[in-house]
Amino acid sequence: MSENLISVKGIHKYFGGVHALKGVDLQIKKGEVHCLAGENGCGKSTIIKVISGVHKPDGGDIEIDGQKYDYMTPTESIKQGIQIIYQDFSVFPNLSVIENLAFNKVLANKKKFVSRKEFRRIAEEAISKIDFDVDLDALVETLPVADKQLIAISRALLDNAKLIIMDEPTTALTKKEVKRMFEIIERLKKEGVTILFVSHKLEEVFEICDSVTIFRNGKNVISCPVSEMDEKKFSYHMTGRHFEEDAAPKTRNIGGTVLETKQLSAQGFNDVNLQLRKGEILGITGQLGSGRTELSLALFGLLNPDKGEIKIEGKEVKIPNPAKAQELGIALVPEDRLTEGLFLPQSIKRNIVITRIDELSNKLGIVNTNSIDDESAKWVRDIGVATKNDEFPVSTLSGGNQQKVLLARWIASEPKVLILNGPTVGVDIGAKHDIHNLLRDLASKGMGIIIVSDDVSEIINTCDRVIVMQKGQITAEVKEADLNAKTLANYI
Amino acid sequence: MMNTLSSKTLKKLATRPEFYVFIIILLLSLFIQAKSGLFFSNNNIVDLLQSMTVPLIYAICAYLGFISTGPDVSFPLIAALSGYLATQFVFVTGFDGPIFVVFLVAIFFGLIMGAINGFIIANYNFPSLIVTLGTTSIFSGILLGVFEAGRIKLPESMIAFGNKSLFEVTNAGTGLGSSLPMTFLIAVSLYILTYLFLNFTMAGRGVFAVGGDETSAERAGFNVKRIRFGVFTVNGGIAAIAGVCYSIESTYFLPTEFAGKEMIVIAAVILGGTRLLGGVGTLTGCVLGTLLLTIVTNSLILIGVPIYWQKFIIGAIIIVGTAISVIQISDLKGFRRNKRRKVGVA
Repeated sequence: MSENLISVKGIHKYFGGVHALKGVDLQIKKGEVHCLAGENGCGKSTIIKVISGVHKPDGGDIEIDGQKYDYMTPTESIKQGIQIIYQDFSVFPNLSVIENLAFNKVLANKKKFVSRKEFRRIAEEAISKIDFDVDLDALVETLPVADKQLIAISRALLDNAKLIIMDEPTTALTKKEVKRMFEIIERLKKEGVTILFVSHKLEEVFEICDSVTIFRNGKNVISCPVSEMDEKKFSYHMTGRHFEEDAAPKTRNIGGTVLETKQLSAQGFNDVNLQLRKGEILGITGQLGSGRTELSLALFGLLNPDKGEIKIEGKEVKIPNPAKAQELGIALVPEDRLTEGLFLPQSIKRNIVITRIDELSNKLGIVNTNSIDDESAKWVRDIGVATKNDEFPVSTLSGGNQQKVLLARWIASEPKVLILNGPTVGVDIGAKHDIHNLLRDLASKGMGIIIVSDDVSEIINTCDRVIVMQKGQITAEVKEADLNAKTLANYI
Repeated sequence: MMNTLSSKTLKKLATRPEFYVFIIILLLSLFIQAKSGLFFSNNNIVDLLQSMTVPLIYAICAYLGFISTGPDVSFPLIAALSGYLATQFVFVTGFDGPIFVVFLVAIFFGLIMGAINGFIIANYNFPSLIVTLGTTSIFSGILLGVFEAGRIKLPESMIAFGNKSLFEVTNAGTGLGSSLPMTFLIAVSLYILTYLFLNFTMAGRGVFAVGGDETSAERAGFNVKRIRFGVFTVNGGIAAIAGVCYSIESTYFLPTEFAGKEMIVIAAVILGGTRLLGGVGTLTGCVLGTLLLTIVTNSLILIGVPIYWQKFIIGAIIIVGTAISVIQISDLKGFRRNKRRKVGVA
């Protein structure tokens, strides 16, 4: 018997004319947590679908537990104990936890009728596998994201899973929830379950994984134990580029105060005094629920302050709504770009020009299509949005490029203050680097920038000054000179 | 202990739209009773039940459409065309046997028409609203253009069935009598069958699963296409039953009386808490929604509200009713902007 649970060799896959997998290898040892990393579009999800039988490969071998296959089918894959936890968790929001847990198994047994007793028994068995404490009768849509994921995991375990594939499992989770999930992964590992952890988050890979395989452009570029991997190597193999993030110049001309708050209070935070100067990048950090998000919303008119004042360039202002905020030169790039920022089915072009639509149209309100074309083309080029055509819907772009489109839109409106909430959440390393450079560049042109983030490395690499919030209050301010991971972690 | 339990169930109840519809029905009927003294009379109740029969059957079609896929607006015209074909069957063959054969003939044609909807919707993933709007127009064209259907007096055997009643009541005070036709029993049986199907078969749970999340349903092992095809096909059959019931009640086949009924039925179903986006809703809600709108159309006249005000009131009820369920949903998802999530500092 081989010690590999799964070994795929030389897998090719074409989609139409696109060569998505160019002869990739992937070996996963029994009982390990194996990380599969790579930028968007590198073939990560394609190989998962080949293993789970959704796609039939156009060449190569698959070997599972010593048995060779030309290709897998979904049923065969489940029979071999392969289970996938999808990014959206594949739950039914409108149904109870019981049904969510029991459906797969009941359907697999080809039962035609519903037995409530059996449903409950299956559900109880499922949650007992990871000691998941949940109200079985609750509707799933009323549960937090983390619980939905735990439902997906416990459901997967019902089928005596040998290999659980987790597709970017931490994207929607808070730090605390991630920690709990890691504990569950450790537990599964002890019970002999092998895990393929698909992620591009460096810290997580180092924390939880035993070995790592990196894909780039449909090829596997490196496969090694995590102990032989370091941060620089990781980003290099992911992107094929060397980053000199730390060497980036930080010195800028910092000018006069552009934004100031005094005793600003609203639901979620109290008595916040902050100052932002021209050309400065100010970081606001803290745990989820510390009030950082609420503060950014209040500055953009999405949350009405209870008391306190906001001053723009020394003049006191009221910001009752986002339209007023924009008028005052404040822009917000929201936390969740998919639901709060972008018009996903609309073209990239339309998404970029929307904030400038008034300037691009004549007195009668009729838009000038030529200037829109020019404007959009300029931004796509300047900001490096990877697309063949700006008429394509934004939904066709990867996370990083979507974020660039959103940034372009707000930068195009030439704000005095740009607030970004989690600007690189769910964005791959290459795009993250581009976005950070862009922000530095904007600051050096005199824009005041606020980055709200809990990504410590992001804060350290880009900010001139950091404010730490806790339970709705500013508890510390760290200047650039003292800015490093250790001091920051102490404050948070 | 007992107290906390009952307040908890009450709280749970209060989150359901059905609860509010029930309260509105209660208040409205008490109001009409107080004003006219006629609402809770035996013949008014029987009249209500009789007027509800066909809308109740239609409501199942609308309901199944919404929870599995989206709006189905074709049921009135499927009812009309299959009702017409069944009536013609009796005329042409001179059939004089049991009435359920007439129903079976109608159901047969209804299923075929429903299957056309189902095939297009399930196989090509077209929006159900567009498809059923299209087929509605086609069926209407066939009925009025190809068959040149006009007003037809039903054959004797069908009229005889229509005249049978479950029971009759006479209001001692006014001397007005009402009878409850057999068709009401058909509606009740359809509700029982639908309830059993939806709650106790895996295919029935699949209807909810598909409406909740199509991709998840597919991954779980439900046959999404077959479920959708099945729902729209069955809808055709149910609509056909409604079509025959409607003709029997009026003793005439009235080809132009069917079109346009879908809107008020859909309004009743949505009012009863069925979610437009699929996967959520109860048959109780369908019954209550239908009851409320039937009371408004039937009984407001008892307190002297002119007919044209009824439309106004129906419109108002629909808007207020749906507003309640929309607020419920947005509360659930924490979308309220200015009172954004009360973030628990964990």
